[in-house]
Amino acid sequence: MESAVNPAILPDTSGLLAGRPLEEWNAAYAKVESYFHALRVRNKALLGQLVLRVLERAQRRAPAAPHRTATQLAAEEMDHIVTEWFADVLQVPPTNPDQMLSTRGRLALLLADMPGKWQEQFLRPGPWPKEFVSAMRETFLRAGPDFQLSKMAPRPLDLGPITTLTNLGRLPYFKMVFAWTLFALLLVVFFIFTHH
Amino acid sequence: MPERSPSFHVSSLPRFHRGWRLFIFYSSALMLTGLVSMLFADLLWRTGWSTSRTVLLVLFVILFLFAAIGCMHGIYGFALRLFGTHQRITQLKNYRDQKIDGISTAIVFPIYNENVRRVYEGLRATYESLEKTGQLERFDFFILSDSTDPDKWVEEERRWFDLIRELDALGRIYYRRRLDNEGRKSGNIRDFLNAWGRRYRYFMVCDADSVMRGETLVDLVKLMEVHPTVGLIQTVPALVNAESLFGRIQQFANRLYAPLFIAGLNYWALDFGNYWGHNAIIRTEPFMQCCDLPQLPGRKPFGGQILSHDFVEAALMLRENWEVWFAYDLEGSYEETPQAMIENAQRERRWCQGNLQHGLVIFAKGLRGVSRLHLILGICGYLAGPLWLAFLLAFNWIRWFQNYTGLSDITVHAFTPYLNLSGTAHAFLIFAICMVVIMLPKILVLIDLANDWPRRRVFGGLARASLSVGGETIFSTLHAPLLMLWHTRFVVTNLLGISVGWATQKRAADGTTWTFALQRHWGHTLIGLVWGAFMWWLDETLFWWFTPMLAGMVLSIPLSVFTSRRSLGIRARKLGFFLTPEETMPPPEITSLRAHLKIQEIVGDTAPRPPHAGVAEAVLDPYVNAIHVSLLREKQLNPVYAEQFSRLGAGTENVRVLGEKLLAEGPDKLSASERLLVMADQSTMVWLHQQSWQRPGESLASWWRAAILEYSRRD
Repeated sequence: MESAVNPAILPDTSGLLAGRPLEEWNAAYAKVESYFHALRVRNKALLGQLVLRVLERAQRRAPAAPHRTATQLAAEEMDHIVTEWFADVLQVPPTNPDQMLSTRGRLALLLADMPGKWQEQFLRPGPWPKEFVSAMRETFLRAGPDFQLSKMAPRPLDLGPITTLTNLGRLPYFKMVFAWTLFALLLVVFFIFTHH
Repeated sequence: MPERSPSFHVSSLPRFHRGWRLFIFYSSALMLTGLVSMLFADLLWRTGWSTSRTVLLVLFVILFLFAAIGCMHGIYGFALRLFGTHQRITQLKNYRDQKIDGISTAIVFPIYNENVRRVYEGLRATYESLEKTGQLERFDFFILSDSTDPDKWVEEERRWFDLIRELDALGRIYYRRRLDNEGRKSGNIRDFLNAWGRRYRYFMVCDADSVMRGETLVDLVKLMEVHPTVGLIQTVPALVNAESLFGRIQQFANRLYAPLFIAGLNYWALDFGNYWGHNAIIRTEPFMQCCDLPQLPGRKPFGGQILSHDFVEAALMLRENWEVWFAYDLEGSYEETPQAMIENAQRERRWCQGNLQHGLVIFAKGLRGVSRLHLILGICGYLAGPLWLAFLLAFNWIRWFQNYTGLSDITVHAFTPYLNLSGTAHAFLIFAICMVVIMLPKILVLIDLANDWPRRRVFGGLARASLSVGGETIFSTLHAPLLMLWHTRFVVTNLLGISVGWATQKRAADGTTWTFALQRHWGHTLIGLVWGAFMWWLDETLFWWFTPMLAGMVLSIPLSVFTSRRSLGIRARKLGFFLTPEETMPPPEITSLRAHLKIQEIVGDTAPRPPHAGVAEAVLDPYVNAIHVSLLREKQLNPVYAEQFSRLGAGTENVRVLGEKLLAEGPDKLSASERLLVMADQSTMVWLHQQSWQRPGESLASWWRAAILEYSRRD
């Protein structure tokens, strides 16, 4: 009789899964789940499946990378899976991946409204519905129309003799002399007011 | 593109007539000032002339002239509203049938660390209103951010995307944040014009709290089209959405008095109007040619960058023969007002600095006389405070000197014996004239209201409007001495080049807190108490004459707290006081704005966000990070921005080091400018997103671990 659960995805007799304690995979699960959650994959069944798919790949890599934690492996695999899928959907040649591919892909997901309309297509291999592909490939976020560059140039205001006055402040000790003059003037005003 | 400035001036009214209007208007104010000043001089003469009396007389003449000019605006405005006038931009030509096909207009919202939610809802209300006119495709909206707070920056981007998605306005509402704040608001507009100005024949400047009706926007474009010599049309924004008592009083005064005063202003200004910085349409080409503001020579407060750019820009447009009009009879232009006295004073402080700087600009060669007049009136608005204080001090000095020297109070015959007045009656007559000059415009406003049944109704009826005017008069009497003290402080500190930093107001749910009011008003209260005691000691009778002024100062703390209360504003509204047309019959755009804000309040979108929430979003959220990075990337296409990026140091190893620090130690360990630098670097932002999700928790700051945990809990 066939086993109910694939033994490859179960811990071995020492309680390790792919050579790592279960706790590590639990943390890895949480991290991957958080990221997909951040991508607004709200359907719990789908979310669980996607996380398991990532963990499966991470577990396959685990024996070859003994110094890396399960979380690191899972996070890297998650990044690879998502970026590869973006390359497929957006038709970016895998030999020359755009450094910004992940950014472009996430933006395309948002513009196509993946969380609202196309959750079931996320990370699914092609072919995809035409409408989805076109929404992903043809929508661009534009923060502004095409630049039509010009250069405004200030015209100086001719303030006449006032310009000279404004430069008085640059003279050395001007403030001190000004304060003394003001003080002297105050004395004169006080004298006039009190002697009439 | 629009044609260049015409070589000849095509005025809607012959210059000769406008000259006469200006002459008649200001002559009326001067004649009234002259006559009352003679009476005042005569009064001073009766008790013996002295130098201090000369000073008092000079101050009286200046202050009375300000009051007389205000009064004349009311009288002329009243007459114009009563008898009607065709000398308005909306009446000169039939503009309603004008086609605006193919005319492109940009509506720009320059913002700086504003309440993002409120700005975008104002924009949404304007957008939806414009959509209803069927002319939406002729307009583009630009949010021009100068925000320096990284969290605000991210919130602006996130909400911008939400907005364009909800309105299906991708390619219609644009967002741009500058990398530096050079030139502040005028620099922000200049940056927009340098990047996109040539795409648009007109642009409309809105403030962060502006809302415009779609029909009004279309009308403004039509008006510009039928008047090719007009460079700028300024609407008169109605104050709306005030809830506190202070805000509602200001709003009421604005809505009731402004039509009269602006009609009076338009009487003499005509096509030599002014620009108030927002809710105005501007012809792009001439603005770009003549309104890039130069730096003023010398040091602060007069030298350097022109802070209050609007008056100067209008003056420069006029210098190049373009007309500037007030479209004061176009409804559907709105803005908001500060909700408390202290907030209002903070705004006044900024404006004061800018207006004082105009003291240099008035000497600029080539400006029109009327432009100089606008600039002088702006300056006088702030100089009136210190001059009034000087007048009161001079008066007190004379009185004290009289007591101190034991000189007699016996009066001699007046220079005007025909009046046959005793000294007291003579003084009372001058006081009565001053009161009439101050109060007459308010009385005329009520008469005007009585003549206009539909308008009377939207102000809650004549009786309630009259009672509200009474309430507003009492409040402004108490508020005026505080403004006097504040303006004096602002003028003096500005002239001395002292920068006075004001902490952000600590607001309780219902307004200004008692502690904050105490911090801001203890000086006023102390001055009131000391001055009052001095007056009482000097002359008990005189003391009672000064009580309205002293009461304002002594009661400043409770006045500030109670008038900031939303609950009192709402209660006054329920009782039918200080009602405005937008309260009694809210226009659709204001209703829509309020409804959206209310919905956000209900769904909890208004809850205060934790510190660095924006940084967390920009790094962790896959979508917000993607929006942020793609906006940075798009900006690189503009060589000016690309140069600014490299000047900032974006893309250098140093930024990556800061990014590493951000991850390892948390955003608190970086200064605000460092956080901004990291966030301005697209490759570092991509890297941060990847690293924050890939690194094991131990190598991330606990702050990041908490933020990631928060994401996993979000629904």
